[in-house]
Amino acid sequence: MRNGTTPKQNTRNGLFRLIPPAALFAGLALALCWGLVFEYAPKESTLGLPQKIFYLHLPLAWWALTGFFLTFVAGAAYLCTGREHWDAAGAACAEVSLVFAFLAVISGSIWARASWGVWWTWDARLTTALIMCFVYAGYLILRRPDMPPARRARISAVLGIAAFLDVPLVFFSARLWSYIHPPSISLEPEMKMTLAACLVAFAPLWLCLTALRMKIDLDGRRLDALQAARLLREDRCRDKREVQL
Amino acid sequence: MLRTALIIARKDLRLTIGRSGDLAQAAALGLLLIFIFSLSLAPGQRMSAQSAAAIFWMASAFCQVIIFSMLHAYEENNGQKQGLLLAPMPVQSVWLGKALAGIVLLMIAQALFVPALIVFLGQEFGPVWKAGPSVVLVCDIGIAGAGSLMGALVQGQSGKESLLGILVFPLLTPLFLGGIRVGSLAFGGADEGIGDWMGICLAFDAVFIAAALPLFPFAYNAEG
Repeated sequence: MRNGTTPKQNTRNGLFRLIPPAALFAGLALALCWGLVFEYAPKESTLGLPQKIFYLHLPLAWWALTGFFLTFVAGAAYLCTGREHWDAAGAACAEVSLVFAFLAVISGSIWARASWGVWWTWDARLTTALIMCFVYAGYLILRRPDMPPARRARISAVLGIAAFLDVPLVFFSARLWSYIHPPSISLEPEMKMTLAACLVAFAPLWLCLTALRMKIDLDGRRLDALQAARLLREDRCRDKREVQL
Repeated sequence: MLRTALIIARKDLRLTIGRSGDLAQAAALGLLLIFIFSLSLAPGQRMSAQSAAAIFWMASAFCQVIIFSMLHAYEENNGQKQGLLLAPMPVQSVWLGKALAGIVLLMIAQALFVPALIVFLGQEFGPVWKAGPSVVLVCDIGIAGAGSLMGALVQGQSGKESLLGILVFPLLTPLFLGGIRVGSLAFGGADEGIGDWMGICLAFDAVFIAAALPLFPFAYNAEG
C-alpha cells in the first residue's frame, strides 16, 4: 500500500498514465491516415470525393462492434469475479462504442445520400445497425446513478451480455439479406492500404477514449468512497463529542 | 424445474385472470393502438397485409411490456421475492414460470387483436391462414423468453414499463421482423421466403432461451 492505494490500483494507475502518450500517437496516426486518404488513395471514378467517407465509416463500424464484444466480455467477467473494474470497463466500452456506432450510422447516411440519393432506406444492415445503437442506448439509460452501485453493476453486466445477442445479426445482415448495402467491396491496392492504415489508426483512438472514460468512472467511485468514509468519520467524532458533553 | 415453473405459472395466471383488470389493461392498450391506426384509412380502404401484421406485432409488443412488468411486480410489491429465492428450486424456475404465464396471457390478448384487425383495418384471412397461429407461437416463445429476463432487470426502478420497452423492443426486432413477414401471409400477403424467416425466428428463440437460463439468477437476485 502506498498513499492509501493497493498494488493493483497502482498497476492500473500506471496503465492510465499511458493515456497521454497513446493519445498523442493516436493523433499522429490519424493525421497520417488523412494524408493517405486525400493524397495517396486514388479518387473513385463514380462517386468521387464522397467515397472518402468509406475510410472513416468502416473503422468506426468495426471498432464499435469490437467494443460491444468487449462489453459482453466485461459483463461475463464481472458476473464471474464481481470486481468493479470489469463493470467500469464494460460501461466505458459501451459508451465509446455507442458514439462510434452512431458516427458510423451518420457517416453511412451521408454516403447513402451521395451514392443512392437517399439519406435512409429500408436495408437490413442499416436497420440492424440502428437497432444495435438503440439496444446499447438502453444499456446506458439503465446505468442510472440513483441505483445502488452493486445492483447497477450486476444488471448492467446481464444486459451487456444480452445486448450482444443482436450484434452478430448486424454483422451478417448484409450477407443474409443484401438489398442495397454491399456485403463487400473490391478496392484498388492503394485504397486497401489506406483502409488498413485507417483501421489500425482508429485502434489507439478507441483505446484512449475507453481508458479515459474508465479512469473517470473509477476515480468517481474512489471519490465517492472517500467522501463516504469522511462523512462516517465526522459522524463518529460528533457522536463522541456528544457522549463527552 | 418444470414442475415448480408450472406451479409459478399457474399462480401468476390465477392472479392475473382473477384480477381481470390487469390483463384487460394490457389488451386494451393493444386494441387502442389498432383502432388509432385505423383512423389513417379512408372509408372502405383496406390496409396492406404487411402493415396490418406490423400493427399486430406493435400492439403485441406494448402488451408484453405491461404483462411482464405486471408478472414480476406480484412478488416485488408484496415483498415475496426473497421467498422465491429461498425456495428449494432453481431460480430459473421463476424465469420459466413467468415466461409460460406470459405466453398464455399474450396469446389471449393476441386472440383479441385478430378480430380487431379484421374489423378496423379491413383484413381478410388468406389461403394459408392456418400458418398464422404457429408463427405467433414461435415468435411469442422468444418474446416471452426475453421479456421474462428483462422484466426481472427493471423491477424496483422508477418508470419500469418505459425502461422495459426501451430494452426489449430493439432486442426483439428480429422476431418482430420475422413475425411481420410470415404473419402477413395469414392475411393474404406475398410469400417472401417463409422458411428463411421462420428459421431466423426459431434461431432467436433458441438464442434468447440459451442466454436467459444462465443470466436470470443474476438479474433476479441483482442485490447479490
